[in-house]
Amino acid sequence: MKTRVSLALIVLLICSSLVWAGGQQEQSSSADEEVTLRFTLWSGFDGHLNMLNEIAAKYTAKHPNVKVQLDTIPFSDYVSKVTIQLAGSNPPDCGWLVENSGPSFIDAGVLSDLSNAAEQYDYDDFSDSAMTLWERGDQVYGLPFSTSPFIMLYNADLFTQAGVPNPNELAAEGDWTWEKLRDIAKTIKEETGVYAFQTMDGQGYDVRVWHTLIPIMRAYGADAWDSNGNCQLDTPEAIEAVELFHSMIYEDKSVVPPGSQSDFYAGNAAMTVGQISRVGKLKDASFDWGIAVMPKGPAGEAYVIGQAAVVAFKASENREIAADFVAFMTNKMNVKKMAEYFPPARESVLYDEAFLSANAAISKEQMRDVVATSIEKGEVLSFHPNFPKIDLTARAEFDTLWTADADVDAIMNRVAEKVQPLLNQ
Amino acid sequence: MASIVQGRQRKKGWYAPYLFIAPQMAGFFIFVLGPLVAVFIFSLQSRNLLSGQVSFVGLQNYIQMIQMDPLFTKTLVNSLIFTMGLVPTNIALALAISLILSKQFRGTTFFRTVFFTPVVTSAVAWAIVWKFLLQGEAGLVNRYLEIFGITGPNWLREPHWAMFSVIITRVFKNLGMNIVLYMAAITNLPTQLMEAATIDGAGRWTIFHKITFPLLMPTTLMISVLTVIGSLKVFDHIMLLTAGGPNNATMVMVYYIYHQAFQFFETGYASGLAVILFLIVLVLTLSQWSIRKKVSHYEQ
Repeated sequence: MKTRVSLALIVLLICSSLVWAGGQQEQSSSADEEVTLRFTLWSGFDGHLNMLNEIAAKYTAKHPNVKVQLDTIPFSDYVSKVTIQLAGSNPPDCGWLVENSGPSFIDAGVLSDLSNAAEQYDYDDFSDSAMTLWERGDQVYGLPFSTSPFIMLYNADLFTQAGVPNPNELAAEGDWTWEKLRDIAKTIKEETGVYAFQTMDGQGYDVRVWHTLIPIMRAYGADAWDSNGNCQLDTPEAIEAVELFHSMIYEDKSVVPPGSQSDFYAGNAAMTVGQISRVGKLKDASFDWGIAVMPKGPAGEAYVIGQAAVVAFKASENREIAADFVAFMTNKMNVKKMAEYFPPARESVLYDEAFLSANAAISKEQMRDVVATSIEKGEVLSFHPNFPKIDLTARAEFDTLWTADADVDAIMNRVAEKVQPLLNQ
Repeated sequence: MASIVQGRQRKKGWYAPYLFIAPQMAGFFIFVLGPLVAVFIFSLQSRNLLSGQVSFVGLQNYIQMIQMDPLFTKTLVNSLIFTMGLVPTNIALALAISLILSKQFRGTTFFRTVFFTPVVTSAVAWAIVWKFLLQGEAGLVNRYLEIFGITGPNWLREPHWAMFSVIITRVFKNLGMNIVLYMAAITNLPTQLMEAATIDGAGRWTIFHKITFPLLMPTTLMISVLTVIGSLKVFDHIMLLTAGGPNNATMVMVYYIYHQAFQFFETGYASGLAVILFLIVLVLTLSQWSIRKKVSHYEQ
């Protein structure tokens, strides 16, 4: 008797599960008129989410059957999680994509062509340099929403204390160079005892090693590799640039060294490389601060841009609507709105009053002279479809640079030797 | 007659236990065995997670590992160094501390809590604290060493010291769990044997290595199996402290599998690496298990 009752219960349990699952299936498939676009992004910041929700609401007002659901995935897991979702049965419809993932996603054929949708929203207004990464012939696979230049953030109090001119004063005299930066960094360290320079987010010896070296190398006339895929890391210009930085760490001891946790934003370094989004971290800073363009070098000015775009995924069941929403999100009106947080790639917005006064912490003049100028003249970071492998290989070799007795010349030659075959693949 | 009826009833209800375990087994087949079998199949394919391209390549992934991938050998060696460094240190310390803490003295509970706290501490918080402590110039560890006239290295940034540092910090993170297991075993040891040995004039050391340690052998074997498996599977600790650097000095197998699968999207090759790791763990576990009867005379 007991067995029968138990069996009946088990059968009932299984049947009810099946019925429930069937009901769920029916519920989702019956809603064919209403469309919910899932939009992935890596920000969970309320300001960003509110702004994007407002844009989504405007789109829904125009297309009442379309709703947009924002889905935040942490930056560190973003690419891998989106990739897994694309490979699975629940792909996102559209979302953000950072510049170094762009080429591999385009080559893998997982992004939708946005050229038709973008045409309706004055596509020609996007600056050519900003679009290089996202175009293949006439096809467009991403529309940049953030074209954020590298800038120098500095602690004005420490410059005053050391009795040296700050970067903007040097730039006004045309003397803001990496050589000069080295000189004043040495003085700041000697006079204040505080490190003069910290790499971007303190990660410049490992995950952000390219962000550390590329701005200096470009100022000296080299790059990681050229547009034809020729590695330039072993050129005399690249080696000279890296030697300068290496000397600052180990001879002058003016740079926060590898492994040290001294932080610019806590007042423990006089300068750091950052982007506009980092300015928010200085809201409660206990010191006066400023922003300046990146220093120039023997090859002249070298502005570097980090970029993120909005893309639509080919695996989406609502491909056309997703492409239209991406284009809508990056139209002039919405780019102006997003400029509060994300520097625009649209030329018409770049010198627009709304953009120049978008960030309360930065004056209009600084936005124009530092941010807008850097975007206009800047070049996106070096990119390649094989970047993940290049990054892992090169980083292991770059690690050997960070000792006092490192042979920079030999190491840079070794890096180039290992990177070139990966560039050729 | 009664036994025939019982036999029939038993025959009639033969499927009942299977139905009871069916939900659990369904979960096991779908979520454990299925993926495990899939990994073996994937390892014979060239699979790109991003583009979705799949083709059968036979043993090519394994050949590539052995012949063309120097990082495979390096990560394999690193995983073994990590395991060989961590397991004996962990077991020796756990045994020593649990022997001390099993005595009743003032503050026993406090020290037990101290040693167990890292086990329940978040891996991220643990890594951040150690990153500060192990800094080259301003780190607390090096400041203490300076008192003794020793200039400490840049622990996490120098290839020779990075592996040592991740092993030691990992030992302290998980030590508490093994202490708990040892203390449970020590509490259940028969005291008559120790008392008899004491009456016979045996000293503390003799009692330890002739009685206590052999009695604890089943626990030691279980702990060593669990610790070996855990150390071969280490991932978060490496990712947070060194990200496999410097110069791949701490790049262990699981972290390399993660790179291949989720950074390079080469899931076929990553599956091949995972199969190798699985076989290594399997062989080590079976060998440890097989020697238990030879060295463990007191297993119940």
